[in-house]
Amino acid sequence: MSIVTVQLGQCGNQIGFEVFDTLFSDSHSSQGLCSKRENEAYQASCKERFFSEEENGVPIARAVLVDMEPKVINQTLSKAAQSGRWKYGQHAYFCQKQGSGNNWAYGYSVHGPRHEESIMNIIQKEVEKCDSLSGFFIIMSMAGGTGSGIGAFVTQNLQDQYAHSLKMNQIIWPYGTGEVIVQNYNSILTLSHLYRSSDALLVHENDAVHKICAKLMNIKQISFSDINQVLAHQLGSVFQPVYSAEGLFHYRRNPLGDLMENLVPHPEFKMLSLRNIPQMSENSLAYSTFTWAGLLKHLRQMLISNAKMEEEGFKDPALYTSWLQPVDAFNVWKTQRAFSKYEKSASLVSNSQFLVKPLNMIVGKAWNMFASKAYLHQYTKFGIEEEDFLDSFTLLEQVVASYYNL
Amino acid sequence: MGRRRRLAGAVAEAGAGALPKVIAALSQSLPAGPSPEIFRRAKFDRPEAAPALWQLLFRLLSPQSADGTSASLALEAQACWVKAALRSQGYPRLVLAQLPEDGSRGSRELLLALSWLLARGPLPERLLAQAHVQLGDEMPVCECEALASPGPRAPHVEAEGPVDIRCVQWLMGRLRFRWRCLITSQQEQCALLSKIHLYTRGCHSDQRLGHLSVAETEMLRDPEGGQQLLRRLERENVGLEAALEWRRGELVFWRWMDTVLGACPPEAPAAATQPTVLPRIAGRGLGQLELAARELRALQEELCEAAERRRAAWAARVGGQGRGPQWRSARQALQKAVEQELAALRRAWEQDRGPARPHGPHRLVRREDEAPGGQYLRVAEVIQALRNQEACLEAALHRLQGQCRQELARLAGALPGLIWILPPGR
Repeated sequence: MSIVTVQLGQCGNQIGFEVFDTLFSDSHSSQGLCSKRENEAYQASCKERFFSEEENGVPIARAVLVDMEPKVINQTLSKAAQSGRWKYGQHAYFCQKQGSGNNWAYGYSVHGPRHEESIMNIIQKEVEKCDSLSGFFIIMSMAGGTGSGIGAFVTQNLQDQYAHSLKMNQIIWPYGTGEVIVQNYNSILTLSHLYRSSDALLVHENDAVHKICAKLMNIKQISFSDINQVLAHQLGSVFQPVYSAEGLFHYRRNPLGDLMENLVPHPEFKMLSLRNIPQMSENSLAYSTFTWAGLLKHLRQMLISNAKMEEEGFKDPALYTSWLQPVDAFNVWKTQRAFSKYEKSASLVSNSQFLVKPLNMIVGKAWNMFASKAYLHQYTKFGIEEEDFLDSFTLLEQVVASYYNL
Repeated sequence: MGRRRRLAGAVAEAGAGALPKVIAALSQSLPAGPSPEIFRRAKFDRPEAAPALWQLLFRLLSPQSADGTSASLALEAQACWVKAALRSQGYPRLVLAQLPEDGSRGSRELLLALSWLLARGPLPERLLAQAHVQLGDEMPVCECEALASPGPRAPHVEAEGPVDIRCVQWLMGRLRFRWRCLITSQQEQCALLSKIHLYTRGCHSDQRLGHLSVAETEMLRDPEGGQQLLRRLERENVGLEAALEWRRGELVFWRWMDTVLGACPPEAPAAATQPTVLPRIAGRGLGQLELAARELRALQEELCEAAERRRAAWAARVGGQGRGPQWRSARQALQKAVEQELAALRRAWEQDRGPARPHGPHRLVRREDEAPGGQYLRVAEVIQALRNQEACLEAALHRLQGQCRQELARLAGALPGLIWILPPGR
C-alpha cells in the first residue's frame, strides 16, 4: 500500500527531500546484511510505498510539494533530479510567484481557499497513481506562518475529501527560544486544527534533534541540513518495511494503518514521539558493534527519563496507564534487513506524556499574549477571530488535562 | 401425503441395507462427517463415538469458518462452545448440558442433538452452499445470506467491576481504524480486479463472459493450482450427490432415530433446589447425622441471608447505574426499537428493489456493451440502490444525533454554573 507525502512550506519540503533520499539510499544500500531474496522483497515493498515507476526507470517520489515561494521548491526539485537516482514528479508541486509574509491567518484563510482546488487536484493525481492508498503523510512546521496555516487548511481538506484515508502529520516543534514572536499563537492554532482533522501527530522537537546532532554525532556546526538528515533517518526507520508478527515471512502491507491502530485509537491522545538509536556519525559507525539488549535498554531509559531501552523492560506495567494492559499497549515489529548501514537499529514510537510540559508552556505563553491582546489584529485581519483562539485554547487545555490524568 | 406414501414404499422396498447407505450419504454431505459406524455406536451410547460427534457438531454450528481454522481448538473448548451454541438456539434437552466436555461419554445425546439440527432446516444444503467453490469473482448484492444465518449470539459478558471509559474509547478507536483499513483493502481489491479483467479480455472461451476471473487466471498461471481446483470441484460434486441421496432416503433415518430416542432413559426433572436433608441412614450414628444435618441447614440459611443483605446494599450504593432490572429492560426496549426500525427500512428497500431482482452473490463481468440477454444486474443500478440505502441510514443517523444533542443540551442546562466541554472532532 502506498503513502502519499505532502510537503508543506520551507520546513516540510527540506525535510521531505531528506526523507525520500534516506528511504531510497537505504533500500538500495548494498549493506543489507540479508539474503538476496530478502533484499529484493524489501526493495519492492519500499518502492511500492514511496515511489512510483516512470518509463525510463527513474523512480518518482509519491509526493506533492506546496509552498508559497518558489525558491525552496525549486531547490528541492533540482536536488532530487540532479542525483539521478530518484526525482519528484514533473507537475507534482504548487507554488506561487512571491511569498506573502509570515502570517498564519493569511495562509489559512486566504491562500488556502484561493488555491484549494489546484492543490487538491495535484494531490488527487498522485492518489490516482496508487493501486491502493494507505494514507497521507504531511510534513510541516508548527510555528511557522503561512506554511503552517496552509498546512492546517490542507489537512482539513484531506479530511473532508478522503474521509476514510489515514492521515499522519509530522510536525516540527519549534526551538524553545524561537525567532518569531507570534510563534506561540501559530503553534496553538496549528495544533488545535490538526487535532481535529488529523489522525496522528508525530512531533519532532528542534531542540531534541539539535542535541542529538551535537552530542551523539559530534557535529560542530549544526546546520539545518544536519538536523533534517537526523529527522529523516528517524522517520525512515519507522516507515521502512517490517514483518508482521504472525506471518514472519512477508512484510506488513499497511504501515500507517498498523501504526495508528496501535498507537492512537483514543481520540484524545494523538501525539506521538519518535526515538531512534543508535545515532552516530558515519565515521564512528564502522567501528562499532551493538547488542540488542544494550540498544533496547537504552531506548527504555530514554523513554522513562523522557530524554531520552530488553523487550522485557517494556512489559513493565508501571510504564503504562492503568486502563491498558502492556500486552495491548506494546507491540514489536522486526525486520531482518539492516537499516541505513546500521547493523542494528531500534526505533520507538510512543504516545506518552512527554509533550505535556512543552505544550503547557506554549499554551501558557500564548494565553498571556492573548490576554493582553498582543498582535491579535494580524489574525483578525484575515478572519481568525477571538472565538477561534478560545476554541483552540479549550481544546489544547483538554489535551493537556487528558495526558496529565493518564 | 402421496409423497410420503411413495417414500415409505421406497423404504420398504430398499430393505435392511438402506440405513447404512442413507447414513453414509448424510455423512458425506456434511463437513467432517463421521463414518456410519460412529452413528451405530452412538445409538448404543458407546463412549468412543463421542469425540467425533462433538467435532461434527462444532463444525456444523460454528459460523462460516470452513477452513478448519477453528479445528485447532481443543476438544474441551469445542464441546463447551457447542453447548453454548445449542443452548442459544433453544435446544430443549438438559442432559446434553450436563455432559462432560472431555468427550468421555454422551454419544447418544450428541446424536439426538444432531438430528434436532437436521430437523430444523436444510442443514446439508445450506453448508454446501456456504462452502461452494467460486470460479468467478463473486460479489454479494444483498444482505440476505447474512440475515438468514445470524449464527449464535456472542455470550453476554458482564464486566466484573467498573470499566474505565477510556479503555472503551480506546477499543472503539481500534475498531474504527480496522474498519478504515478494511475499506482501503477493499478499494485495493477492486482496483486489482479491474486490472485483471481488463488485461484478460478476450481470453475466455465463454463469449458471454469475455475475460477471466482471478481463480481462472491463477489456474492458467499455476497448473498445480488448477489441479487443486479440480479436486475441490470433484469433492463438491460428491457432497452434492450425497445430499441428493440423503434426501431420497431420509425417512429411513428418521425411523431409526425414533428407536434411538426410545433407547434413552426418561429425562429426570430438573432439580429445583439442592436437598438440604441428608439421606436417612439406618443404624448407628443416626442421632449424630441428624444433628449435623440440622447444623448444615442452619448454616446455609444464614449464608443465604448474609449474601442477600450484601447484594441489596451494593445495589443501593450503585444506584442501578448500568445495572439492575430497570436498566436491563430499558436497554432491551432500545434494542427492540432499533431492530424494528432496521426491519422497516429493509422492507422498504425490498419493495423498491422489486421482486424480479435475484438474490445471492453474482459473478463480476466487465463488458463494453450490453449483455445479450439473460439474468444480469448492472453495477450502476446496484450502486445506486446502495447509495439510496446509505442515504436512508445517514438520515436516520443525523436524526438520532440531533436527538442526542438536544438531550445533552437539556442535561447541560439542568446544571447551571457547570461548563460542558464537548470532545474535539465532529
